[in-house]
Amino acid sequence: MKRNVAIIGCGQTKHSSRRRDVNVAELVSEAVSNALEDAKVSLREVDAFVVGNMPGFEGIAQADQWLGDWIGAAGKPVIRIATGGTTGGSVGQGGYYTAASGLHDVVVAVAWEKHSDSKEAGATTGLLHVGLGNFFHASAYGLSLKNLVAINIVGAAAGVAVYQARFYMHRSGCDIRHFDMVAAKARRNAARNKYAHLQWPGCTHEDIAKTEIITYPFRYGHVCPASDGASAIVIAEESIARKKAKQPAWFKGLASYTDEENQLQSENFGGVGVTDPSEQRGAWLSAVKAYKMAGINNPQKEIDMAEIYQPFPSQELIFAERLGLFDEGTAWKALEKGDTDINGRMPLDPSGGVNATNAIGSSALQRILECALQIMGKAEEHQVPKKVHNAVAHGWGGVTNFTTVTVLGDTPGR
Amino acid sequence: MRRRVAIVGYAQSHHQLNMQKTREDMVFEVCKEALRHAGIMREDMDTVVTASSDFLDGRTISSVFLSMAVGAFMKDESKVEEDGTFALYYALMRILAGTHDVALVEAHTQSSTMNAHQVSCFMLDPLFDRQIGVLNDIAAAALQARAYMNRHNVTEKHIAMVAVKNITNAAKNPYAHRKMPDLSVKEVMGSKLLCAPIRELTMSPPSDGACALILASEDKARKITDKPVWIEGVGTCQSSYLRDRDIEKLDSLETAARTAYKMAGIKNPAAELDVAEISEKFAHEELMIYEALGLCKEGEGKKLIEKGTTQKDGDMPVNPSGGALGADSVCATGLVRVIEAAKQIRGEAGRNQVPGVHKALAHGQFGLCAQKNTVYILGGN
Repeated sequence: MKRNVAIIGCGQTKHSSRRRDVNVAELVSEAVSNALEDAKVSLREVDAFVVGNMPGFEGIAQADQWLGDWIGAAGKPVIRIATGGTTGGSVGQGGYYTAASGLHDVVVAVAWEKHSDSKEAGATTGLLHVGLGNFFHASAYGLSLKNLVAINIVGAAAGVAVYQARFYMHRSGCDIRHFDMVAAKARRNAARNKYAHLQWPGCTHEDIAKTEIITYPFRYGHVCPASDGASAIVIAEESIARKKAKQPAWFKGLASYTDEENQLQSENFGGVGVTDPSEQRGAWLSAVKAYKMAGINNPQKEIDMAEIYQPFPSQELIFAERLGLFDEGTAWKALEKGDTDINGRMPLDPSGGVNATNAIGSSALQRILECALQIMGKAEEHQVPKKVHNAVAHGWGGVTNFTTVTVLGDTPGR
Repeated sequence: MRRRVAIVGYAQSHHQLNMQKTREDMVFEVCKEALRHAGIMREDMDTVVTASSDFLDGRTISSVFLSMAVGAFMKDESKVEEDGTFALYYALMRILAGTHDVALVEAHTQSSTMNAHQVSCFMLDPLFDRQIGVLNDIAAAALQARAYMNRHNVTEKHIAMVAVKNITNAAKNPYAHRKMPDLSVKEVMGSKLLCAPIRELTMSPPSDGACALILASEDKARKITDKPVWIEGVGTCQSSYLRDRDIEKLDSLETAARTAYKMAGIKNPAAELDVAEISEKFAHEELMIYEALGLCKEGEGKKLIEKGTTQKDGDMPVNPSGGALGADSVCATGLVRVIEAAKQIRGEAGRNQVPGVHKALAHGQFGLCAQKNTVYILGGN
């Protein structure tokens, strides 16, 4: 009954701090044309677009209306999705539903961010804006002092991640050295990915440990960059997918369950009592649901690699556990053993991940795209040595409450 | 369509100038009311799709503090930007894909937070049009109105007649913003000139408001209600950017309508549809929408308003609820049209009810000069 849907082409741009050679529209069209070329699909064959980015970061409202013509979207359905850090994941999942609904057959899903067009780096201040948004209401309707303080201490993306990392360290027993190791691995892997931003061949955890502490437990070397870049995937229903691609990357399972939104504020409005931002039950539930849809019973055995949304290294460890790839509190032990290396038992972020390349709106779509590349065998230098049958892509954002989990495979799930 | 999908419950807030409620409270109330109206619990719904805009909400990630208010806690949730009809489109796709059965769709804007016309400047081409600083949505609509008037010999009076029809209809709608039951053409033509020929009363008002509806697959819908409103056809399309299109026509609406009609098996819309609820952000757009929807031939939109065909008691009533000229809570406006069309089919439209509605059309739009359009064809049992 359900319609099988697959990724048949991937396209991304080179990422860097400032892509001065292109404007936003040109950047987006670069990714779309790369994807169409990879999929061997002409624009005429595309019958819908799903697009998204963080609108505030470039200061363009509903950018799809201006740049629609640059990607050939005029005269076609365009759905614009924006959910913060998960935007790319939501765009990719929106692409799945667009094709799986039967309303459309070939869909382009594209997401982007051009941070250098912003006066300030959205990557680090974005969450502060989320908190500040409440001031509109605070001034109009009043807000208790306690909540006002809570909003201010959120302290942007790094501030959130610090709380989360400290909770995880306490819970699992890992220390700052493990964050050095994750960051070094991300830099090393990125050096093998020609599209990645922060590339550092042969980077070791000692190298990262030499960088200064920004806010404990994070060093400068732990923090993701703010990148300019875009990524696009071409999604098609089964008959077209089989015709166009030798090895399509099939959508097997997906979910985006939303967690408690106020875990970082001292008061818990939702009344669910969660105050540990590393608990991430939304991520856990999304993984359970996505695996169930994909028919995966034991992710530790059946998943071959994962692309985890890890702007800060602690998040790779936290979410690897939440996605069921390691037992509770053991991800850092696997890291020590090298299991999560590109040639390890469970490679995590062989592309370098968000820690090496972060064009926010696009980052979570890139996770899906990178998993697709691994399944299609097109990851070139950063292709994992073992055969990838099932891969899981993760996206994370909001105020620690949004998650997208997408399971891709080399055969259709049903 | 792969599955039959129906609207089984809905709710909207009173659209008004300054609601004096937080966004969270406003959204919570309509979502709770929509569930109550459908007679289901939060536990019965599988997925939530909302529509809002970061710019209009005045904050990054507009949906981020609304996940509890819309009842999405530990639910599969997502957010589209722009009009609520796009959220409905996404929720519909989720159900059609077979992964979900019951969805809540929510859309809102509090125009009192951010001035929607100011925000429209940020929808312009940032490299050229925005830098010149002469355009916003009102100025663009004025250019469109003038071009359309010149091409088809439409007068300001025709446009004022549209405003009178919709705004007087809105006076009977308890949820609408504008309450002007005795409005006359003369009054509209004498209202404040904003950007010729756009006047205060030929433009939609800035409203605070929200709406929500519940969507269900066939088997669930039949269990939930004995009055399901089926989605029989749907189409959406985006035009080229302002500079690159013929603004005298709504080509993307034509495409969207054609797709929806084909899906619903409608050959002669004017004869087969009993009522239409459309999003006319400016009064002249309503005449253009008549033409794009195929309710009349190109250039003959003015005849429908001259003859009274689109009045509530006419042959083809359009906007008996008052349309966007009656209330415009930007992102909610299109979804409110869907709700109003569903109310007509269920016979729940009160003083705005058109007798004997079996098939209705609802339209939502977004962007400068209605760049993006979505059309729904709804039907009763």
